[in-house]
Amino acid sequence: MSAKPAIKVEKLVKRFGKTTVLEGIDLAVERGQVTCLIGPSGSGKSTLLRCIALLEEANEGFIEINGEPLGFASGPNGERVRLPSSETQKVRAHIGMVFQQFNLWPHMTALGNVTEALVTVRRMLRKDAEQRAMTQLSNVGLSDRAGHYPSELSGGQQQRVAIARALALDPDIMLFDEPTSSLDPELTGEVLAVMRDLAESGMTMLVVTHEIGFAASVGSKIVFLDQGKLIVEGKPEEVFGKPRHERIDQFLDTYLDRGAATLL
Amino acid sequence: MTFDLDLIVLYLPDIVRALGVTILLWLAGSALGLLVGFLIAVARRYGPRWLDWALLAPVELIRGTPFLVQIFLLYYGGPFIGLSLDSITAGLLGLTIYGAAYYSELWRSGFVAIPKGHVEAAQCVGLNRTQTLRRIILPEMTMLLLPSMVNMTILMLKETAILSIISVPELTLAVSALGTKYYAFVEGFAILALVYWALVEACSALGRYAESRLSKYRFAVS
Amino acid sequence: MSWKLFWLLVEAARLTILLSVISVSIGFLLSSLVCAAVMSTHRSARIAGKLFVSFFRGTPLLVQLLLIYYLLPQIGLNVPSEVAAIVGMSLCTAAYQAEILRGGFSSVPRGLIEAANMCGFSKFAIFRRIRLPIAVQLTIPALISEAIMMLKSSSLVSVVGVVELSRMAQDLAASTYRPLELFAAAGLIYLIINLVVAGFGLQLEKRMQWGRT
Ligand SMILES: Nc1ncnc2c1ncn2[C@@H]1O[C@H](COP(=O)(O)OP(=O)(O)OP(=O)(O)O)[C@@H](O)[C@H]1O
Ligand SMILES: [Mg+2]
Repeated sequence: MSAKPAIKVEKLVKRFGKTTVLEGIDLAVERGQVTCLIGPSGSGKSTLLRCIALLEEANEGFIEINGEPLGFASGPNGERVRLPSSETQKVRAHIGMVFQQFNLWPHMTALGNVTEALVTVRRMLRKDAEQRAMTQLSNVGLSDRAGHYPSELSGGQQQRVAIARALALDPDIMLFDEPTSSLDPELTGEVLAVMRDLAESGMTMLVVTHEIGFAASVGSKIVFLDQGKLIVEGKPEEVFGKPRHERIDQFLDTYLDRGAATLL
Repeated sequence: MTFDLDLIVLYLPDIVRALGVTILLWLAGSALGLLVGFLIAVARRYGPRWLDWALLAPVELIRGTPFLVQIFLLYYGGPFIGLSLDSITAGLLGLTIYGAAYYSELWRSGFVAIPKGHVEAAQCVGLNRTQTLRRIILPEMTMLLLPSMVNMTILMLKETAILSIISVPELTLAVSALGTKYYAFVEGFAILALVYWALVEACSALGRYAESRLSKYRFAVS
Repeated sequence: MSWKLFWLLVEAARLTILLSVISVSIGFLLSSLVCAAVMSTHRSARIAGKLFVSFFRGTPLLVQLLLIYYLLPQIGLNVPSEVAAIVGMSLCTAAYQAEILRGGFSSVPRGLIEAANMCGFSKFAIFRRIRLPIAVQLTIPALISEAIMMLKSSSLVSVVGVVELSRMAQDLAASTYRPLELFAAAGLIYLIINLVVAGFGLQLEKRMQWGRT
């Protein structure tokens, strides 16, 4: 294992207009570990993830992926220097992302969704791309649904296709933004199972989730975000075990009926 | 050969009068069309089923044929069935019928779009049918339909130009006549286009203003 | 009304269809350019595109046709009135179609584009593979309505002397003194053509649906 963390976030600040959503976040995600980002609604979890994915541009601070600067590099006097977009794209290719709303392309089948980037971006032959896509689909247990359009799949199946789509590009870091939040309770299990397998295979994962049970059992590290600030960080047993930080206590109280009861 | 300033000044009274006819026909035709369209929509939605079917045919006939052909049929064909109208009356009647068909479809889409739950909620808190219509359905529908109603009303203005073909003394006819007299068609029609453009922009600006005033409803609707 | 008269109307309807098909097609190509201008990052292109859309949507097609009909010879283009008619109709429908397309592009969900971004798509690939097909699917109903609108509006080219369906009906009505039957028949023919186009549109919509709904 190299000494550089997979993701390093330094003094990250993000503003939307006048409201500051992230107020100087410092975070390191170690390679091969599962880091779970929790916190109340509106605390800036999605924004942090989207900044790391470069779907939003932070206003201050730096992000490094595998030791390489993403988007902006630090100049000799610590100022931010914008990097050329070709460089940025290269660094970003290490990251795969899974969204709360799945975001599958509706005009392509499950197979088409997974194949698309392999053909248009990676310039693979369609035949090879489809073979690789089929492998990914069967890893998430959907080889029999390859020819279905997203509208013909359940939410859980759609989310598993979305995971296969991201994994097909061979990222070494996966970001998940509340991957089970728009699923019916009985469908969250199948998605969490896929994520658990992925974690066991050694993937570096940063997961925003309200599934406290998943965070406690799979997470190597828990990060608690509140009002744009990272206030608690540590192993699950430190964060959830007693004595607890007062904000975490309040937070868990609101999740009592969502599987967090086991932790109390 | 050219449409110089003197000519415009000389014929300004004529042009203003013709503009008045255009605006009057437009407003009257739209208002009547809006009203008749509303009645048709209510009849089709809340009346007996046969009425819905009976009204479907004329509405689709009007929407499926050109306004020009409808006007010809009314103005030139009317006398053969004992309906001899002067051009302005024929024009207004034609506009009203045409508008009513399109407006009725817009009203209908509004009725359909209002969630049933909103009406049920109103009844639960004890509003009666008229109160529900006045306090719940109509305000919600106004917000919902405003943009398409404004669009339709703009279309009505543009359709009034077609009435020049049956010699309704409106703006396009007046300018064509001047054009013929001085052989200055291009200048005349260019100015004419600008006048319509200004009217349309004014109308859509008004629509946007109304929308922004009403936007407090938006959350409830969408 | 004799079959002979009816047949003359049907013959004239062929010109109506031809003019409409040509104008709507040229208009579609033009509208892609206009839409690109309206959505471009260049301020001047955006303003020009918006002015184009606003003008051709803000003035009666009749006035546009008359203006173009008299303008073309003045700038040295002595073209048949059919060509003037096509120019006018194409410009007008281009404005409407551009607005429809813009609406379609702006209703493509952002998340789909973000997902493509995360997969490393270039801007062009996102446009070609994601935004375009979805925008087209979203806009098909509106584009079909616009085509039907143009079919009906094509009756206005009779004022610049093109003998299409409505003009033929006028001429025959004047010579036979039977306006009632002739205009009713003309209306019927328009209605039938429109029903066919609408049916075709529904078919197309169904074909363009991905999976069940
Ligand atoms: N594009 C935007 N423009 C303006 N404000 C935004 C934007 N995106 C997010 N915000 C604001 O930033 C704050 C943090 O939002 P964010 O989505 O990151 O929260 P979150 O922690 O993911 O919440 P949730 O658990 O509800 O998903 C919120 O107050 C939100 O209103
Ligand atoms: Mg979020």
